[in-house]
Amino acid sequence: MSILATLLPLAEQLEQTALGTALAESTYAFPIIEGLHLIGLSVALGLLFITDLRLAGVILKRVPASVVLQQLLPWVLGGFVVILVTGGLLFVAEASSMLSNPAFAFKLVFIAIAAINAAYFEFVIARRPGALESSPQLPANVRMAGVTSLVMWGLVVICGRLIPYLPAWT
Amino acid sequence: MSVAAVLAFLQDSAIAHSISKSNHLVGAGLQVLHVIGFITLLASLVLVGLRLLGLALKNQPVAEIVKDANRLLYVGLSLVTTSGLLMFVASARMYYYKTAFELKMLLFVVAVVLQFALLRRLVERTESAPPALVRTVLGISLAVWFGIGFTGRMIGFT
Repeated sequence: MSILATLLPLAEQLEQTALGTALAESTYAFPIIEGLHLIGLSVALGLLFITDLRLAGVILKRVPASVVLQQLLPWVLGGFVVILVTGGLLFVAEASSMLSNPAFAFKLVFIAIAAINAAYFEFVIARRPGALESSPQLPANVRMAGVTSLVMWGLVVICGRLIPYLPAWT
Repeated sequence: MSVAAVLAFLQDSAIAHSISKSNHLVGAGLQVLHVIGFITLLASLVLVGLRLLGLALKNQPVAEIVKDANRLLYVGLSLVTTSGLLMFVASARMYYYKTAFELKMLLFVVAVVLQFALLRRLVERTESAPPALVRTVLGISLAVWFGIGFTGRMIGFT
């Protein structure tokens, strides 16, 4: 793959930076960052799944969807900062093997789809009058956005956990 | 029976062999279920925690939140225990002698006792329970669950 061929030297440079080598050579840094990544994602994605399940009409049906969104999203975004920073550090330490890992590539694809879905929900669907009115059953496109988010982030978690188990692209 | 004999018995059982002698993706699948269960479990605890600490959904009745959070709690607990037991049985001798695993199991027992012996009762009577006590137990409980995630992640590195 030609894209891989262009990116691999860059990834190797990234690994050889002071930060990259420090992370790779330390006995504790890598597992500690992995641990923080897991804790960050269990808070951020956990609360995001709750929000998605509310939009889909599965739980918290008597709490207005607008309240759930407004109250939980700051915590979701806070958790995302932790995931992003720790995820970035993990990437720097193993950039070249990540680039050639199919699970990592799929993980990025699903993150992109989830981000597009979130942006479409935030800027189009949720802006329509009455979209999040306090009723147990929300409009079909709102429920769909919730289900899409749930499935996409679920796939992100699955791909992330599969990274060490899948062989590299050849 | 000695500990070593029990571990050997578990690891050589038919169910252990059906996991350990199959494709390595079966083990990976169990890891995936384990992490999804953990996220579900933590989602429930963090939601109740935010509500009881008054950090989110302040105007919603506690009972309402707790009822739905409990559904997630049981789904999460079932997933982590089932997948966890299967992973343990498949490599009992490897897990049993790891410090991170021992620590994780110790924290897990503490977390479950805190949850079902103390926190559940305090949550049921939030009006009469002293808020400082509820907050303390909640804080300890969340810290212990984070510790379980953390030590769990360490197992593969030690």
